[in-house]
Amino acid sequence: MRTDWQGTYLDGQTAARHPATIRLMREALEISPAGGGTRLWPYRELRQTQGFYAGEEVRIERGGDLPETLLVPDSAFLESLHEVAPGLQLRFHDPRRRRARVRWTIAAAAGVLAVTAAIYLWGIPALAALVAPRVPVAWEENVGRSALVYLAPPDRRCEDPRLGAAMDEIVRRLTASAPPSPYTLRVYVVNRPVVNAHALPGGNVVIFKGLLERTHTPEELAGVVAHELQHVLLRHTTRAVIQDASTGLLLMALTGDVTGPLAYGLQTARTLGELRYSRRAEDEADVGGMRMLLAARVDPAGMIAFFDTIRQEEGAQPQALTYLSTHPLAEARIARLRAMAAASKGTPEPLLPAEDWPALTKRC
Amino acid sequence: MDGQEPADRRSFFRKPAAPGGPPPRRPAPAAPPPPGSPAPPPPPVYVAPPSGPGSEPPPVSSVRHPTFHGNGGTLFGIHVVNVLLTLITLGIYYFWAKTRIRAYLSGQTEIEGDRFAYHGTARELLLGTIKAVLVFGLPILLLQFVRDLLDAPVFLRRLADLAVAVLAYAFFPIAMVGARRYRLSRTSWRGIRFSFRGRVAELLKIFILGSFLTGLTLGLYYPFFLVSRQAFLVSHSYFGGERFEFTGRGRDLFGRFLLALLLTVPTLGLCWVWYVAFKRRYFWDHTTFGSARFSCRVTGGALLGLWVVDALILVGTLGIAWPWVRVRNVHFAFRNLALVGALDLSRIRQEAQQVGSMGEGLSGFFDSGFDLA
Repeated sequence: MRTDWQGTYLDGQTAARHPATIRLMREALEISPAGGGTRLWPYRELRQTQGFYAGEEVRIERGGDLPETLLVPDSAFLESLHEVAPGLQLRFHDPRRRRARVRWTIAAAAGVLAVTAAIYLWGIPALAALVAPRVPVAWEENVGRSALVYLAPPDRRCEDPRLGAAMDEIVRRLTASAPPSPYTLRVYVVNRPVVNAHALPGGNVVIFKGLLERTHTPEELAGVVAHELQHVLLRHTTRAVIQDASTGLLLMALTGDVTGPLAYGLQTARTLGELRYSRRAEDEADVGGMRMLLAARVDPAGMIAFFDTIRQEEGAQPQALTYLSTHPLAEARIARLRAMAAASKGTPEPLLPAEDWPALTKRC
Repeated sequence: MDGQEPADRRSFFRKPAAPGGPPPRRPAPAAPPPPGSPAPPPPPVYVAPPSGPGSEPPPVSSVRHPTFHGNGGTLFGIHVVNVLLTLITLGIYYFWAKTRIRAYLSGQTEIEGDRFAYHGTARELLLGTIKAVLVFGLPILLLQFVRDLLDAPVFLRRLADLAVAVLAYAFFPIAMVGARRYRLSRTSWRGIRFSFRGRVAELLKIFILGSFLTGLTLGLYYPFFLVSRQAFLVSHSYFGGERFEFTGRGRDLFGRFLLALLLTVPTLGLCWVWYVAFKRRYFWDHTTFGSARFSCRVTGGALLGLWVVDALILVGTLGIAWPWVRVRNVHFAFRNLALVGALDLSRIRQEAQQVGSMGEGLSGFFDSGFDLA
């Protein structure tokens, strides 16, 4: 058992290093700096602050804020210390336990994977589903109002009264058979060539003229509106805000302090993570929208036909891509809508039978 | 541009010093004893200190590079355990995690044969963050609530707007000074603590003047502002009782800044990487400690290469490989950094400052990567 070691003593007052001989004793370290002046350091007054990892010298400190310090380059010193003075496992690191630590670290990595997956797949959606219904509708309306000014500036809104009445009628038909909701639902048509539609939190739906002109029947538009209304009623925007913030926090916990270019790299991970949530919201809105159509006795073929047209235009018509970028239309989605429509028993009643729809869509 | 600085903040944060011989000149005016800090070092209680300065080698003019001994694998191991505990404790362990990482990185950084040590504790970080949230976070949140969600009268909303802006504005200098005070005071080399003794009021003045003149000159004043900020940050930094000095001038940075501004469009913004490299060289080359000075040789091309590879690694691994990226960045910074010239460590005396951790909490909370400039 080796009891004498070489190290360096720092007095905590000057920057001078003093080579020192260290002797391990039963209750204390005896430190003899080269210039004389031997000290006795009782183990119970000491703390180890470095030397926990391979290649790191052992650093032992004694005293309050500005301690005296002992540095020992060889970590075998710690092994001898534990042999000479047993029972100090909590005070001083034991290099012999490093192999066990590696195993624990691997177990921890597996634990991280499991906990992360659980939080991501289950925890965050559950949290959003729990919190979103408790957010006051007035808050959502406030957020929706500022988004409306941005997406549908007053000078670009279609103010045609007949078109407005048709939109109100579609909303009325769709909501008449739905359970009462705290939202005031309204559809705005905006004079822009974009083929897209947005649901804003708090009850407003924005339809761009480009999309309106691509519908052949009022039933087709009703399908789009029903889908967007579901986003409002299911509070998808509020849930997305909660989910995105939680995903960000989760990523922060996973990566620690990240700044600068590192943060850009992480953005990819975050976007990928949120994709799953938004796809799920689209699926929910599809199913809810189709149920809404069926309950309102609007012909479900319209919704399916419109989604089909848009999907087939992909590639040929770049404008169609806008809608697809926010509403990815996979084959499976349309197939499910078809199955739901086929399973329904009710006979559809015509929507806006008195209107010449193609002419109406031009009135903007 | 500061947002694009690499993440190895700590490497640029440290102001390492190195040993040498007798003083080439008298020390700069001794720093005033800080209020509330421990009295001047008492003589050793029981034995005379071992042979002191006399045993130091004679002064040598030399070039010293800091060295980093750590590796990405160990850092990753520490990180994995940290993440698990942070998730399980719903984030509370975050402060312990941060402290462990810092202690590891400090302990693996060496200059002139001796390693740095980090003395901060998680408790301090936690308390600092709580204070920061109470002083800045809550008021800003409340004011935004008044502004956006209540049906308050318009003048009240404008007032809330103004108050949010003032708070957010004051946040930066306060956080910057606080973080630097905390980080330096908790860092030591050879048992001697670093410290930062600049006052928030002074930095606030620099910020107000800087943003006013930058706005007035359509941005042209910005390099002057950067230099005065750097001068403030460096020249109030101490190792023991010895001060760091900064001799840079804004007009030296101005030419490169203007050049980068003009070349932004033709180079698609890439010229700013060379500007950042120049700024870094300039800042280090004009930082001195005693009769030694720092020297930085980083080039724009090398920096661009570093960042591109960093980004590829991170995107490719969805961020999982960040410990290796961090180690890469530290190695890069240290390769390019040196402390040149004779140094007299024998006259360095311990002079600790008492420092709270609130500023640290502020910057840790919002993490804007200040300490680089």
